[in-house]
Amino acid sequence: MTYTELEAFYHDLVRRARERGVTCAITSGMACVHYGVAQTTKDCDLLCDPKLADAFLGLITETDLNGAMPSYRGNLSPPLDRRWLEGGWTSHFVWETEDGDGAYLDIFGVPPRASAPWEKEIEGFYSSRHTVAEMKRTDRDKDWPFATALGEQMLEAGDEQGWLHVFDVSTLLSLNRSVPPPLALQEKRPVLSLLADTNPDEIELAIRAEKEFWHQLDAVRVKVLKEALRPYVVAVRKDPNGKAPSLKTQHEVRLEKAKEVLNPNALTDYGHRRMAEEARERAEKFLPAGSHPWLPDVSAYLTDYSDE
Amino acid sequence: MNDAAEKPKPNWWSPEIAEEIRQIRYEYHVREFGEEMARINFLPLEERRREVAKIYDHAKARGVKFDKPAPGYTR
Repeated sequence: MTYTELEAFYHDLVRRARERGVTCAITSGMACVHYGVAQTTKDCDLLCDPKLADAFLGLITETDLNGAMPSYRGNLSPPLDRRWLEGGWTSHFVWETEDGDGAYLDIFGVPPRASAPWEKEIEGFYSSRHTVAEMKRTDRDKDWPFATALGEQMLEAGDEQGWLHVFDVSTLLSLNRSVPPPLALQEKRPVLSLLADTNPDEIELAIRAEKEFWHQLDAVRVKVLKEALRPYVVAVRKDPNGKAPSLKTQHEVRLEKAKEVLNPNALTDYGHRRMAEEARERAEKFLPAGSHPWLPDVSAYLTDYSDE
Repeated sequence: MNDAAEKPKPNWWSPEIAEEIRQIRYEYHVREFGEEMARINFLPLEERRREVAKIYDHAKARGVKFDKPAPGYTR
């Protein structure tokens, strides 16, 4: 399949989902392509309102791709179900076409590190630049330039939240010469207050502190999820119906095993505040003394989406 | 759903400031992604999608695998 065909397939899926009342939006790599920060990806990462997980599963179940029907991808995928989407889990699906190619769809309900409801800021088929940029603060160095590039775009369009996503010193100083960041954002991101003194070394150190903190926060989050997954993976692998041809059967197996051994609220039970403190302690081991004032205020990112 | 693109602009915004920021943006893209990707990233949407599709299709035809793991969570 060509990239154009893949893109059309995912767009059509989103369109049909929305016709059924499912709030959803494409994010991550494909959104970056749309927004002009291109990366090569064939996977579609898709945000879905957890309350409509059943409806989306119904849609996927009846959707074929050139005659290929969908399956869960691998034994690690939690079931596509409100409880696990709300808990921050991701369900993975694949359509394996006859030419050996395939379409990969990853569905989740809570974007990592999101500070605002993604459902309220959607642009066409895609989640907003702000949502995508927040997601790019991972423990992988390769993701951060995309956050910076999206932040710059936001500022060009007049969206001041873009200041939260720029992690390049030279760019920050250049932007500051055109228009300084508002005071309100400096509370959320203390590093921005350093721009008034324009000391590049101090700003570089502060940005390194920020990035190390976000790296560690992502690492802690992944550690918690991996540990929670272990018994579930074993249980799904042991059940021969986990690989049944029918997605309905695969889903029943995964739902049954998840109810038994996969805590949907592994992250909230561990404690978001505890994760942030742990990340801070780990980050400080790698940073020079005195850099902790520049660590971000993460209280806005500690929302528990399972509380309604 | 609210379209994020419809947000009102702040008082400091003007086409001239936007153009300054666009230039800063372009310089960053060249520095970080290279001249060719910077060129592609600054194309109008439809042209950009065609260029990205060409890159992807070419890589795939040469045997590049774009598969990524399915770990049960999103990074």
